[in-house]
Amino acid sequence: MFDIAIKNVSFAYGDNKVLSDLSLTVAAGDFVAIVGPNGAGKSTILKLIAGLVRPADGVVQVGGKVVRDACYSCEIGYVPQHYANNTAGFPATVEEIVALGLTSSGSKRVKREGARHIVKHMLDLVGLEGLNHRLVGELSGGQQQRVMVARALAANPGLLLLDEPTSGVDYETGTKLYGLLGEINRNLGITIVAVSHDIDKVTRFANKVACINNGLCFYGDSTEFRHNHAGAPHFFPYQKV
Amino acid sequence: MELFQYDFMQRALIAGLITAVACPLIGIFVVVRRQAMIGDGLGHIAFAGVMGGYVLGVYPTAVAALVTMLGAAAIEFVRHRHMRQADTALAIFFYSGIALAVIFSSMAKVPGNGMIGVLFGSILTVTGADIWLIAGSGVLVLGVMHRYFDRLLLMAFDEDVAHVSGINTGLTGTIFSMMAALVVVVGMRVVGILLVSSLMVIPVAAAQLLRRGFRATLALAVAFSVISVLGGLVLSFNLDIAPGGTIVVTAVAIYLIMLVCADLNVNFTLTRKKSADTIVKSGHKNSY
Repeated sequence: MFDIAIKNVSFAYGDNKVLSDLSLTVAAGDFVAIVGPNGAGKSTILKLIAGLVRPADGVVQVGGKVVRDACYSCEIGYVPQHYANNTAGFPATVEEIVALGLTSSGSKRVKREGARHIVKHMLDLVGLEGLNHRLVGELSGGQQQRVMVARALAANPGLLLLDEPTSGVDYETGTKLYGLLGEINRNLGITIVAVSHDIDKVTRFANKVACINNGLCFYGDSTEFRHNHAGAPHFFPYQKV
Repeated sequence: MELFQYDFMQRALIAGLITAVACPLIGIFVVVRRQAMIGDGLGHIAFAGVMGGYVLGVYPTAVAALVTMLGAAAIEFVRHRHMRQADTALAIFFYSGIALAVIFSSMAKVPGNGMIGVLFGSILTVTGADIWLIAGSGVLVLGVMHRYFDRLLLMAFDEDVAHVSGINTGLTGTIFSMMAALVVVVGMRVVGILLVSSLMVIPVAAAQLLRRGFRATLALAVAFSVISVLGGLVLSFNLDIAPGGTIVVTAVAIYLIMLVCADLNVNFTLTRKKSADTIVKSGHKNSY
């Protein structure tokens, strides 16, 4: 498992400054929910941690190492926001998608039997056993999300990053998915950072919440956040001044 | 198979079969990355290369291979660095290719059927030197695609995920584009630059209709492509019509047959979905 240290990070898309002097520390083994309004920079934080973008100022460290580029090979599992666009017409079975998690330049190629065993184990873990040979595009939204989580977990990552994992799925399915992530966090000890608009759901299972609204305006226990947030699931009470 | 006793038909068969295997191998990644038109664009650049070869008095197919591979690498570089302007940049490359081809063709002494052969293919005039180039290219493409298959599959699925997995997406994308360029040049001799991308796209599209996994779809696409080339050659020989066009029309016919099969298969598909629905309603833990 990895800890994360974001130190005085600034980032802009062209002239649009998204993050300014942001600092945030995530302890190893935490399940952190990043919440906040649209455009606050939640997904950008995830991309900075993943090494998909580089900070204009400051430094991002994962597991004590500076993230200069996506150089961690299979140690970071990443589930992007727009995965549904990819799965819709992608001619691949569930087994093939999950096995993609074993693909990286940094690891030795896993032999076919070994890969099959890992894929089966991952599908069992996310509760999709028996669906190996189904086309991923034929699954429901919730099942597809779990396939994506299984793919990310196949590489045995120390850190799992998820960008809006419950977008486009119904309330019950979203709750079950966060429940699954909570179990993975507790049972496997993997550090999880999830960006979400579903504040009510994600904060029930995450143990920490980072609220981003013109910078980091709250970072602490999810129970404290939920206490202050009660009855207003879509309202951001925190505003950095 | 009396027709294959002729030397020119044997060479045509070898060139056709190599192309039939290489095109879908590249084409499946082109299709799933939604770059179905890139074969046409690379064909424009190859056209400039062939005409440039005639101007320089150098073996035109080899010049085309070199120019198209360099063009493909440049396109990938622009696409990687300027993703938002990728479409416009690609179009500029393609227009530049065709413009240079027009200029070179006005400067070069192109043999009588040279231009037509480049545009529409001339598989029956494939020479021994062409066979060596096509075979060498085919082996290179097969080797590289075998080496990079998993990485390309992950990149096709999601480039960001591939990047986070530690894959050098810029380098891998460039290598793939260069292999696509090589296949375009190989296909150029078989069906011509105006039709070369059809052998990349149509067999894959036909295979996709059968709704199988990635590797199974690729195997089906190669099978359809081989049938198209063999069928096209036999038909064109017996009917005395243009082989390039006949190969592509055969591929289209296979696509239409698969389309009808896919439609007739509706009941089977519904049965499978119904089974899944039944599982959902019965409260199976996999159902959400």
